Amino acid sequence: MFIHYVDLAWRSFKRTPLVSIVMVSAIAVGIGITMTSLSVYHMMSMDPIPSKSDKLFAVQLNTMDDGNQWWTDDNLPQQITYKDAIALYQADIGQAGMKIRKVPSTRTGFSVHMDRSTTKPFLESTRLTGRDFFDMFELEFEYGGAWSTQQEKSAAPVVVISHSLNQKLFGGANSIGKVINLDETKFQIVGVTKHWDIHTKYYDLTNGAFNNTENLFIPVSLLTTMELPTWGNTNGWKFEEVNTHQDKLNSELLWLQFWAELDSHEQVQQFENYLQAYLQEQGSLGRFDRRAQQFAVRDVNTWLDYNRVVSQDNRILVGLSFMFLIVCLANILGLLLGKFLKRAPEIGVRRALGANKTQVFMQHLVEVSMLGLFGGIAGIGIAQLGLWGVRQSYDYYSALATMDISMLVAAPFIAVFSCILAGMYPAWLVCKTAPAIYLKTQ
Amino acid sequence: MLSMKNVSKVYQTEKVQTHALRDFNLDVSEGEFIAVTGPSGSGKTTFLNIAGMLESFTGGTYCLDGIDIATLSDNARADLRNQKIGFIFQGFNLIPDLNLFENIEVPLRYRGIKSAERKRRIQDCLERVGLASRSKHLPQQLSGGQQQRVAIARALAGKPRFLLADEPTGNLDSLMARQVMELLEQINAEGSTIIMVTHDQELARRTPRNIQVVDGQLADFTLYQNNNMDAVANKSVSSITSAEAASDVSPSSASEA
Repeated sequence: MFIHYVDLAWRSFKRTPLVSIVMVSAIAVGIGITMTSLSVYHMMSMDPIPSKSDKLFAVQLNTMDDGNQWWTDDNLPQQITYKDAIALYQADIGQAGMKIRKVPSTRTGFSVHMDRSTTKPFLESTRLTGRDFFDMFELEFEYGGAWSTQQEKSAAPVVVISHSLNQKLFGGANSIGKVINLDETKFQIVGVTKHWDIHTKYYDLTNGAFNNTENLFIPVSLLTTMELPTWGNTNGWKFEEVNTHQDKLNSELLWLQFWAELDSHEQVQQFENYLQAYLQEQGSLGRFDRRAQQFAVRDVNTWLDYNRVVSQDNRILVGLSFMFLIVCLANILGLLLGKFLKRAPEIGVRRALGANKTQVFMQHLVEVSMLGLFGGIAGIGIAQLGLWGVRQSYDYYSALATMDISMLVAAPFIAVFSCILAGMYPAWLVCKTAPAIYLKTQ
Repeated sequence: MLSMKNVSKVYQTEKVQTHALRDFNLDVSEGEFIAVTGPSGSGKTTFLNIAGMLESFTGGTYCLDGIDIATLSDNARADLRNQKIGFIFQGFNLIPDLNLFENIEVPLRYRGIKSAERKRRIQDCLERVGLASRSKHLPQQLSGGQQQRVAIARALAGKPRFLLADEPTGNLDSLMARQVMELLEQINAEGSTIIMVTHDQELARRTPRNIQVVDGQLADFTLYQNNNMDAVANKSVSSITSAEAASDVSPSSASEA
């Protein structure tokens, strides 16, 4: 019977093409608008590293004197000082064979230029980090790999470049061993990463959660040897004389992010114990005046929530777009009522010929489902147009304003489900119509 | 096979209670061909709708093949209607978007008959009503008589035990009306039970059994034989006129019934 209902629905569309087009258009516009905002919201709120988001932890330390306030809910700064970052990085935590991996990271930048006249110099932001960064954040390599421990210790001028930068500088060829100039220093390429498909730059939310990831990665040890400036945010909580690079390294300024990979509850416990002891030690050395030690380790999704990556405005926008869809559906409901009730005499005949209420109801639900399906498919087109508009208007959202496969699949389902909701009442009304009324009057 | 005992039907509005049928008693045996006559508003169509389970009744008992209709759900009534009853309407009630083949197919689809069997039955029925060559035509491409023959074919396709015909010749000229009547007689001769509502006294005389509905009740038809139909009609008119004066039946609601 389902095929028969589909056939009847198709005939119904052909019988009233204008009304059908109006209804499909209304659904398409409603779904298009809804899916545009929902897609952006979905990309914003999706788990950026589902395979290990519960194993990667952002580290926060409170190294302020008592009485100082931070603007976070729990009074903890999101970044840590250089000396804490390096101390934690160099600490040997965990049992043999199960050492805890951890990396500091911060953002700097260079003018990139080649020893050839055909490539114009350009500015490129750069991530200073440890060699484990790539493994921890599942950044795979197209060529080569991360720099060695020895290279990191000796602050060797080595660099890992991204797929897109390799494409730009070397046309995608294997560039391992080649040299690029970062400012006035020659860096040897040791690795080329694959395309890194993350929509939220969760490892560093201080420079814009939806900015592009860096195209250059260099050892964190170069921060001191090259006296590199930060291209990220630097926060302070007290007045300090910071005139030299060394002053900054020794200061209480907060400008590095720190992440640890903790594979088990035991490792979390071990790491927290270490942090507790570390802060006590620092307090006892007179570095800060705190009665109670405060720190936090937050996994990726908690970290995103904590930093309100998806703002209330985004949620309101999604809510409003669903309200718009409801308005569209209310209009469709009215049109369906008119269309279905006009067909009541035919339904009277069908009932007289043996159709039961369920069959009549199903016939109409299939029709509204088909309307929803057509509207949903057209809505995907409108949503793509909307997302294209967002990408053109706001470069910041360029990575987010896309529809992934789950949204593509969800669009027709939402459309069909919405239409079934809107069509239930007209379908119920027509199926409960007393057939005898219409048989004499047809 | 069809038995109605004290069946009543009351249409209730805020101010008026209209008795479309009162204490209606009727037994129909297998193979009968019954003409139901009576003045307009007397309750003939209401009776036919109740017999066809298109309307519920207010009181009494109605059994079809021993099944008490009052105990059935709406969907069960629809299934029973689909299996046992065929309808022929005055206005033909063919679905305009469907061609003849598809129109006849409608009740068979609801019965869940397989495609090959449906096709065979439809061809048989179309041949029987002489329209086999026009199976792809739309209803509006046929004359009134042809459309009614399609409606009869549709009613026959499900091989119903009952054919309920409401003024089947009402929209046809006398020649076509006779042809349709002959077809119904032929169907009856082959064993189908037919109940036909008609205003046409000539057609009614051709049926073996006539019943008169007057003011929602069966008239004492044993007094009136086929040869006295005109007298019956006159009496019915006078009886309903006097009944209307005394009863609470409003003219508008009577015409609805």
